[in-house]
Amino acid sequence: MTHTPRERAAWSLAIFMVLVYALVPVMWMISLSLKPADKLSTERGFFYGIFHPDFDNYDTIFSGNVFTKPLVNSIGIAAIATFIAILLASMAAYALSRLDFPGKTLILSGALAVAMFPPISIVGSLFNIWRNIGLYDTWPGLIIPYMTFTLPLAIYTLSAFFREIPWELEQAAQVDGATPFQAFRKVIVPLAAPGVFTASILVFIFAWNDFIFANTLTSTDNARTVPAALAFFTGESQFEQPIGAISAAAVVVTVPIIIMVLIFQRRIVAGLTAGAVKG
Amino acid sequence: MEAATTEATRVAPAPPPKVTERAREERKLAWMLCAPAVITMLLVTGFPIAYAVYLSLQKYDLRFPDQKEFVGLSNYVDALGSSTWWGDVWNTSLITIVSVSLELALGMAIALVMHRAIFGRGPVRAAILIPYGIVTVVAAFAWRYAFDPASGFVQGLPLISDTAAPLTERGGSLIVIILTEVWKTTPFIALLLLAGLALVPDELHEAAKVDGANAMQRFFRITLPLMRPAILVALLFRTLDAFRLFDTVFIQTQGANGTETVSILSYNVLINRVNLGLGSAVSVLIFICVLLIAFFFVKVLGTSTAQQRGEV
Amino acid sequence: MRVGRVVVFGAVLAATALAGCGSGGGGGGTPTLNWYVFKEPGGAYDQAVANCNKQAGGRYKIVYQALPTDANQQRELLVRRLAAKDSSVDLVGADVIWTAEFAQAGWIKPWTGANRAAAVKDRLVGPLKTVQYRGGVWAAPFTSNTQLLWYRKDLVPNPGENATWDQIIDTAIKKGKSIEVQGNQYEGLTVWINALVEGAGTPMVSQTGKVTASDKAIEDAARIVRRLATTKAAPAGLGTNKEDEARLGFESGRSVYQLNYTFIYPSAAEVTTPKDFQKRIGWARYPRTVADKPSRPPLGGINVAVGNYTKHEDVAFRAALCLSQPKNQAIASEKGGLPPTSEAVYNDAKVKKAFPFADELRRSIEEAGPRPVTPAYSDISLAIQKTFHPESEVQPSDVVSKLQDRLDKAAEGKIF
Repeated sequence: MTHTPRERAAWSLAIFMVLVYALVPVMWMISLSLKPADKLSTERGFFYGIFHPDFDNYDTIFSGNVFTKPLVNSIGIAAIATFIAILLASMAAYALSRLDFPGKTLILSGALAVAMFPPISIVGSLFNIWRNIGLYDTWPGLIIPYMTFTLPLAIYTLSAFFREIPWELEQAAQVDGATPFQAFRKVIVPLAAPGVFTASILVFIFAWNDFIFANTLTSTDNARTVPAALAFFTGESQFEQPIGAISAAAVVVTVPIIIMVLIFQRRIVAGLTAGAVKG
Repeated sequence: MEAATTEATRVAPAPPPKVTERAREERKLAWMLCAPAVITMLLVTGFPIAYAVYLSLQKYDLRFPDQKEFVGLSNYVDALGSSTWWGDVWNTSLITIVSVSLELALGMAIALVMHRAIFGRGPVRAAILIPYGIVTVVAAFAWRYAFDPASGFVQGLPLISDTAAPLTERGGSLIVIILTEVWKTTPFIALLLLAGLALVPDELHEAAKVDGANAMQRFFRITLPLMRPAILVALLFRTLDAFRLFDTVFIQTQGANGTETVSILSYNVLINRVNLGLGSAVSVLIFICVLLIAFFFVKVLGTSTAQQRGEV
Repeated sequence: MRVGRVVVFGAVLAATALAGCGSGGGGGGTPTLNWYVFKEPGGAYDQAVANCNKQAGGRYKIVYQALPTDANQQRELLVRRLAAKDSSVDLVGADVIWTAEFAQAGWIKPWTGANRAAAVKDRLVGPLKTVQYRGGVWAAPFTSNTQLLWYRKDLVPNPGENATWDQIIDTAIKKGKSIEVQGNQYEGLTVWINALVEGAGTPMVSQTGKVTASDKAIEDAARIVRRLATTKAAPAGLGTNKEDEARLGFESGRSVYQLNYTFIYPSAAEVTTPKDFQKRIGWARYPRTVADKPSRPPLGGINVAVGNYTKHEDVAFRAALCLSQPKNQAIASEKGGLPPTSEAVYNDAKVKKAFPFADELRRSIEEAGPRPVTPAYSDISLAIQKTFHPESEVQPSDVVSKLQDRLDKAAEGKIF
């Protein structure tokens, strides 16, 4: 079907507007991060930093520990939480999509309930409990809530993917002479891999993003992750707002996620819509 | 495994113990597989909420550790009787309703663009995933700095006063907060709606076109009604999310200027004033509110979570 | 499936082990003392730490743990750690307003005997009061702080010792410029309001949270706040301005007066337009609320306290005394613009050079109006902040009842 130049122009405009929508804050933060402190109030143009880049702020945040340690914490905690959550969710999703047993609906409803749960309601209890058993301000102290709250998301996404897998292939392989383990490894694993990968990305983004637990269950950079660290950034003077440093840190923590999201966009969209659950 | 079972039943009324044996084994395996996930979820959400209820029945302030005592429901009486609590409920509801409505409308527009685009679907899909992937705190900072009277760019835009400082007053703060929220989560809604859009059969549209219906009529009479389940699910999750709003408000105003939400109130009482008794009561009240919202959506609006529960 | 469970268990163990790695530090050898205090930009605190480590000769080693710039945030982080009985909090750079709260909660150690005598020796009266609670001494005063009225010598005349708020608001309006104050909803606002109310005659709040200031005093304060916020004297962004925004505003030339701490003076030397900016700045005493009563300037500062759960109690007290000694106070003045707490240091040549306004400073500190001393201080401060923010909506007619209502609820540990 051919499209008139007018139609093409209209769609181009629509797409351009969507792109602008998505990118305005990102470009703004990049621009701010490249602006030196003394130009903050004098040069207010949106693109100023991008056309006159100055890497002072990046130097600041990478010298010393104020940002690098939270970055390490974020990566480590999110990775471990993702690993454990995917592990537990895979086992549950396997059972839910392949086996027949009473209590299936109950478990799925329960997971749904956890997904709707307000984290603020348990923050106080966790603060007190962690404080008393020594998990306060530690990696496990954050990993445990993260993996719990990402379990529903992981279970739903994985169940949806696992339901699509033709399990008969496993039996066919066994009929062809493979041992159960070989059948599993060579047939099922490659089929399940995309789903697991997608679920991992979604879970990682969730854990990377969290602020409320990171804020309340930590107090030093033993375990504080980047979102919480941003909120408590030390400025240059007793009273100074570290706008430049925060922007630089924000860019550092955002750009990898953006790249990851761009590369894996198809998978992410498939994962989000397959389970059609909250992200 | 399944083939064998079916064969067994087809052959003859199979010896019951054998079938039940298999089924029992399957059940055991299934429960063992689900156990770690289920136990984790129960322990980490169920136990703390029970503990929060326990704490909420006491007067327990960490700054006066010797004065801990059981006081029954008096924390709840205080919370429910304070105008601050109800003001915060109102703020939270206001932000929730306005953001979710905007997100729905905007999300639908983006979904339509993506659905009907004649080219460029890839870039659009990639672009709208960016707000999804950005850390909420970063988005909050970005918009806060954009509106800052000393260093932001908004003041330079046409139609906006040079000294506008929205974050110093209530109306402006609410607008910035809602703007940030809408910006961040519209893509997610758009994706959900897109999935729903894809379910509307094209033949219906063709038939309606033949019957002389224009685009608007087709949209409101065919598309929307058929998308109702998807819309309701999206609404349910987004409303719950919006009610739990914390990150954006914390970063942009800390609840000042009359933008305090219920989560910020709970945080202030629990973590700042380390008043664990009162703060836990507020937390439990928030939990009850969330339950009420979910109940409303499921029972009253008829949102079907069947697909999520695996029945579809 | 067994494999699965083992892997999970292993992962959790590994994670716990990793976590344990992060916060190590005990063990034999030189005790490490963590000093939690805000990041002082001039390098004065770094210097103090270095001096003391040298002086210690291996008996202990102080590590400077920087806290955020905002006083509220500093407190948030400290309270969490102390409530969690954290043993790594050895020394606390405590803001003057935290003494009662931390002492009552059992988060800092009381000072007794020789340590106590050394901590209070030769200290100015104002700062000394900030370390006392219920007859005990809870910290060693280190640096003090107060606000002066800074003005553009080239644009407005010297306000003099007895200027009132109304007078400077009038002058500002006439010149079409503003007055920089800290109007954000945070501790800085309480500083301002407290100074206004104490300047009208009596302390604002008693130790139990009862409003002790007269209704008239509070109404006067509210009237001034409202007047400043609703006339041309209001700076842009009044409701979100903290100390640094005020400094930047004054440096940009949009205002002729500024109420702020002394850190703005060294900063003014770096301003490029107009030239010689620092030479154009004059200083005067904090303005009066009412014409017939002397003003009560705000009192801030940092005291060095010892955390209650520290594992190195003895050396911690020594380190605290070392950090707060007159030599380090002089360095803090010179490099950080932070006024000393020991009387003799004001006569030090270096200090006099760093502070051309040293005499005004000392007088202000001696006659300062401290903020309420009570364990529930953070609640009371929050109640005051909420009542007076946003400034343009303050109504003198109902501010007293609103304040009393909030303070009552705060004192009872209720929601306000």
